[in-house]
Amino acid sequence: MAKTISMQKLKRQENMMGYLFASPWLLGLIVLGLFPIIASFYISFTNYDMISSPNFVGFANYQILFTNDDLFWKSLGNTFYHVAIAIPLGIVVGVSLALLLNNKIKGMSIYRTLFYLPNVVSIVAMTLLWLWLFQPNFGIVNEILAPLYKLFNMEPLRWHQAVETSKITLIIMGLWSAGGSMVIYLAQMQDIPTSLYESAEIDGANWIKKTIYITLPLMTPSIFFNFIMGIIGGFQVFTIAYIMTSGGPSRSTYYYAYYMFDKMIADQAMGMASAMAWILLVIVLIFTMIALRLNKYVVYLGEEA
Amino acid sequence: MKKMMLLVMILITSMTLIACGGDEAGDKITIDFWHMSPVGSTSFSGMRSIINDFNESQDTYFVRGTGFSFWDYWDKINVAVASRTAPDIGLSTIDDVEARARSGVLYNISDLMASDTTDAPLEVDEFRQSQLDFATYQGDLYAMPFSATTRVLYYNLDMFAEEGLTEADVPETWDELKTIAKKFDVVEDGQLTRIGFDPTYGNATYHGWLWQNNLDFFDENKLPTLNTQAHIDVLEWIMNFNSEYTRTQLTTFGEGNQLLGINPFASQRVAMIVEVDGLYQIIKDAGATFNYGVAPIPIPEGGRRVNWGSGFSIEMYDNGKGEDEQRDGSFLFYKYLLSKDVQIRLAEVNGWIMSHISAMEEYVEGNPILEKLLAEVDYAVDKVYIPYAPSWHGNDWQPYYTEALSGTKTAAEALEAARLNYLQKKQNYDAVNP
Repeated sequence: MAKTISMQKLKRQENMMGYLFASPWLLGLIVLGLFPIIASFYISFTNYDMISSPNFVGFANYQILFTNDDLFWKSLGNTFYHVAIAIPLGIVVGVSLALLLNNKIKGMSIYRTLFYLPNVVSIVAMTLLWLWLFQPNFGIVNEILAPLYKLFNMEPLRWHQAVETSKITLIIMGLWSAGGSMVIYLAQMQDIPTSLYESAEIDGANWIKKTIYITLPLMTPSIFFNFIMGIIGGFQVFTIAYIMTSGGPSRSTYYYAYYMFDKMIADQAMGMASAMAWILLVIVLIFTMIALRLNKYVVYLGEEA
Repeated sequence: MKKMMLLVMILITSMTLIACGGDEAGDKITIDFWHMSPVGSTSFSGMRSIINDFNESQDTYFVRGTGFSFWDYWDKINVAVASRTAPDIGLSTIDDVEARARSGVLYNISDLMASDTTDAPLEVDEFRQSQLDFATYQGDLYAMPFSATTRVLYYNLDMFAEEGLTEADVPETWDELKTIAKKFDVVEDGQLTRIGFDPTYGNATYHGWLWQNNLDFFDENKLPTLNTQAHIDVLEWIMNFNSEYTRTQLTTFGEGNQLLGINPFASQRVAMIVEVDGLYQIIKDAGATFNYGVAPIPIPEGGRRVNWGSGFSIEMYDNGKGEDEQRDGSFLFYKYLLSKDVQIRLAEVNGWIMSHISAMEEYVEGNPILEKLLAEVDYAVDKVYIPYAPSWHGNDWQPYYTEALSGTKTAAEALEAARLNYLQKKQNYDAVNP
């Protein structure tokens, strides 16, 4: 009996210590995370200019956004376009890079570092750099493509400065940091038992067959992970447009998060901005849930699953 | 175990307390003042000595100055005002004093003046009525003008001389502007390398050109008025000013300016430009050696002499804590900052044109460029505050303006689209702001 009590006491003490050590993080979560979340939910039902106190307006903000705000739909459309192209493209590039780097050649670690490097660069610096690379008149991209333009007798592309190409330019730029997901793919690729490849080789499978029937199916969990993270991040696209295009030309890169930012900063309409944030949360949740549902059909989770 | 707990607790408490360092204030009542001269900036030591002189002049109050860079300042002050943790005195933009006054976060300066029994009252007569109007809400002053910005035409005298022109030829009308500007255009191998003038360069704005034509974005009821032929004409004048060149030539030239990262007038790529008074300081700091002058912005036939002048206001924040002593001390410092001598010192420290009229007259004496800049302040008008579109000239207008300038939309289409956008914003604003 005495032993169990002391055991319980010990357990409690241990728990206490655990919470104590976790307290800085817990405190951070509650103060810096939970409180703003709850506050923004409340604010989304108010009219709040950030100076005077918020006035409760019910669902008015949501109703206005859905029924009488052209820019809301425009920015949402731009964002969907971005997500729909950038995410699949990012996966294709990431996986391709990983396949290329999943080799035993000399200096491989250097290549891996090089491809991962853009992820270490601050997004602001990266965007400013690309701004000059894509610069239509002086940029190196058009300089390199100059012979092609001549060959096809076409005007040089104006990249981020033309409505037709602005969105895709930002997407191409985003691919520069595909090395981040590549590292995850690579880790999983190297986890695939070599015995599988060996038996395939005995059966006469070539590299393409091995990739299609072994590597890719076994990589689905990490592809899926990057897909979900891509969706969440893709819907929040903001910085690149803010720095590179200011949402232009003709608001073609005016993304949802950008509009939300303007609602808050330029229009001082915190209530409306909060409502937009919650709408975005719901959109992201829906897409993530659909993806999770699809998960069991496309993701390989091991033999026992 | 207990010892360890104690250790952790001590660590946490000491970390919390470390932030509350010592204070020079002693028993004095501390007054917080936020300005834009952060540590490391050229104006820091000047600002500090202005504050120190006040602190040494009396024993009751201690002013604690905190400087933020211009770019950080706005977020800091807005958050502080919203959370009722604003400093006692701070700078803000004068065109939207009304919004803050309405929200009750500002002390009523008129009331403070009325109950001021000292022999050094606030000299309101020394400030321009045009600026005071912006600081007035329901008949009372809720802020004071602190600095004044003005926009003028800068012209390169060396280039004028090359063309055999003198200061007497500086354009005064739109027609003259166009005729003279064309003399300076230089095209080499099909590329523009210099232009005389462009109405979109520098700090020239569409609303600035409208005002000269007695037009505006909004009527007295704050409804958008962009759909008249006169509005279209002004926008087309801007669009067609340099229309003898192709769009590619003009964009390449514009991008060349960006690439240099220097104001195109300072780098002598344009002969004339509409810019703010601050360009004087930029040219001075850059050590430019060319001769130049400033003049009123040319006006159209039948138009009026006006320029877009913005400025800082100086405000006393009421955080709703009923701190009467704090308020009285703040007002004392407030008057000090707005006194003639200190306004001259502030102009010297920051390179700004301050709002105090006779102080500035004394400050600019003997400097012909500053004298002309100051003269234009009298014709400066601030933009109106539109509650449903506080950034009407920026975020709300710029996309349409760019579309018109780049040829995506005609002037009429761009103006109509902009007008509809303002109307929708107003409708939505009214729906939640009874």
